Amino acid sequence: MAEKPLIKLINICKEYANEEVVTKVLFDINLELQKGEFVAIMGPSGSGKSTLMHIMGFLEKPTSGEYYYKGKKISDLTEDELAGIRNQEVGFIFQAFNLLQRTSVYDNVRLPLVYSDKNIGDEAVEKAIKSVGLYHRKDNLSNQLSGGEKQRVAIARSLVNQPEIIFADEPTGNLDSKSGKQIMEILQSLNEEGKTIVLVTHEKYTAEHARRIIKIIDGKIVDDFKVKHQLLAKNENDLTK
Amino acid sequence: MFKTFKKNFNLASEALWRHKLRAVLTVLGVTVGIAVVIVVLSAGQAIKDFITGQMTVFGTDWIEVEIKVPSTAHTSIENVGGLAQGISITTLKISDAEEIKKHPNIRDYYAGNVAQEVASYKEKNKITMLFGVSASFIDIDPGEIMQGRFYTEAEEKGLAKVAVLGSGIKETLFGDEDPINKSIRIGRQNFRVVGVMAEKGSAGFFSMDDVIFLPNVTMQKLILGIDHLTFIFAQPYDNSLARQTAEDITLIMRESHDITDPTKDDFIVMSSQEALELLDTVTGVITILLFAIALISLLVGGIGIMNVMYVSVSERTFEIGLRKALGAKYSDILNQFLTEAIIITIWGGVLGIALGVSLSFLISYVAINYYGFNWQFYLSLTYIALAAGMSIAAGLIAGLYPARQAASLDPMVALRKE
Repeated sequence: MAEKPLIKLINICKEYANEEVVTKVLFDINLELQKGEFVAIMGPSGSGKSTLMHIMGFLEKPTSGEYYYKGKKISDLTEDELAGIRNQEVGFIFQAFNLLQRTSVYDNVRLPLVYSDKNIGDEAVEKAIKSVGLYHRKDNLSNQLSGGEKQRVAIARSLVNQPEIIFADEPTGNLDSKSGKQIMEILQSLNEEGKTIVLVTHEKYTAEHARRIIKIIDGKIVDDFKVKHQLLAKNENDLTK
Repeated sequence: MFKTFKKNFNLASEALWRHKLRAVLTVLGVTVGIAVVIVVLSAGQAIKDFITGQMTVFGTDWIEVEIKVPSTAHTSIENVGGLAQGISITTLKISDAEEIKKHPNIRDYYAGNVAQEVASYKEKNKITMLFGVSASFIDIDPGEIMQGRFYTEAEEKGLAKVAVLGSGIKETLFGDEDPINKSIRIGRQNFRVVGVMAEKGSAGFFSMDDVIFLPNVTMQKLILGIDHLTFIFAQPYDNSLARQTAEDITLIMRESHDITDPTKDDFIVMSSQEALELLDTVTGVITILLFAIALISLLVGGIGIMNVMYVSVSERTFEIGLRKALGAKYSDILNQFLTEAIIITIWGGVLGIALGVSLSFLISYVAINYYGFNWQFYLSLTYIALAAGMSIAAGLIAGLYPARQAASLDPMVALRKE
């Protein structure tokens, strides 16, 4: 019997109502993601890919449709229950890094543990910082870091709670090519270790570092395929844009 | 429970530490608010006791009959001003006092007049308040003789030129010298000092210790040249019946003065009970007024906290969004911001209590040592508890709304504020 999908979306729609104007962003999205996959959601700006990621990452609720996570229907969960799932199951990496200013690398990485019920000690923080090669800067403040380093701190933060799935929204978007390559290398190695990765990007080249690409245009999935020749960041000199 | 509290405390402390100056200024606002509450409440109590102390210089069980300009109210400007400007009411006589004494609830009375004259001894002169009262004064009034004796009824009837000095005037005229049987000059007459009163304190604007007591009849005949009285102090057997007795005395007085229209009364009767009740009303109003000032100051402190919390929430919208994205629940954010407000108010409360108590002490110290007022320093646990309670309540109320607003933020909306 086939394993239950990690994520299953059925007819997911999302619209934003702003005063009297209703903007439809997603139309009848049907999608399944298995545990351990490395999926790139690719599409142009305004196609709805980030919104789709936010729904899958429990940051937003769909307007209609059903969302099953590990077979559990989550559309009806309360805000607090969603917060709990975000804390326990998910790691986020944002394009703008989203670190707390004037706060040390260590405290930034430790932030999810503040709200965690899991019995994870502070040694997990050091381990996560080591895994992104920033242990020597753990006491530095976040605003003293370069863009690439900030994104590595964000990755360490996404790992600290030992999540099931990592959502990365344009993680290389604000980085130079060298730093971008480092980030993709880390994501690929995490995937090899068994983490499920969902990467949102508008770049075909970046998307080809995933194993599967879902193309989305105007809020609809237009293509969904396995990457025949996955690009491996560790073999590249730079991540050319 | 403790773990949650520790978590919130740490989060709030870190946040406050990141905005030190703002936190300190807010604490200062609360500190001033709480200090004002304590100073004002302590001052209110001190004022009350100060005024009550002044009233009770004459004891707490008396019924006074005093002259009054007819057709005016006792405390009206027409009456007080009229008497001061020389309207002379000459109808109050010793015969009235004798009539009053016949009342079954009246034990005794003393009657008298007040005057002002220069008193001198050797080279020393002082304009002094003269209290011409009956010999029975010493049995009725709470004041006591410290040295020598009070004059007798026989001396009064015999127009004896004897005087009893207040402790203050004795110091002024005699210093360390023994005044007994010495002769002092009052106006144009010589008086022999027979006694000195023990220290008594002040009543109204003059100190009862700077008064010279003379036999009433002596003062009437030899100094003032009159035969009427200004006041009669009657002492009841049962003070609980004083109000009824005062009403009876009013009727006795009207009959003896042949008055049918109460508005034409040329006297006023007041019991110590009524006077104290009136005083309670006055001090009650003062306390309410002071309390209102204290509340306003606390309100300003509270608005300060709310303002800072609002700025804090709007400045940290992104941070709140991030925390929620990473798993913070509604209660986590609410408690963090509330804890921040409470830490501010607790600091403000502790410092405010310290400042308030110190200021109250200082005011009392200055009033006693530099102005000679009997202004007691009150360290009331009730006031401190009240101030502490109010500070925490102000913090909670002022912090609650911004904290709720923060906790209700949508994580994605908040994150986009970056």
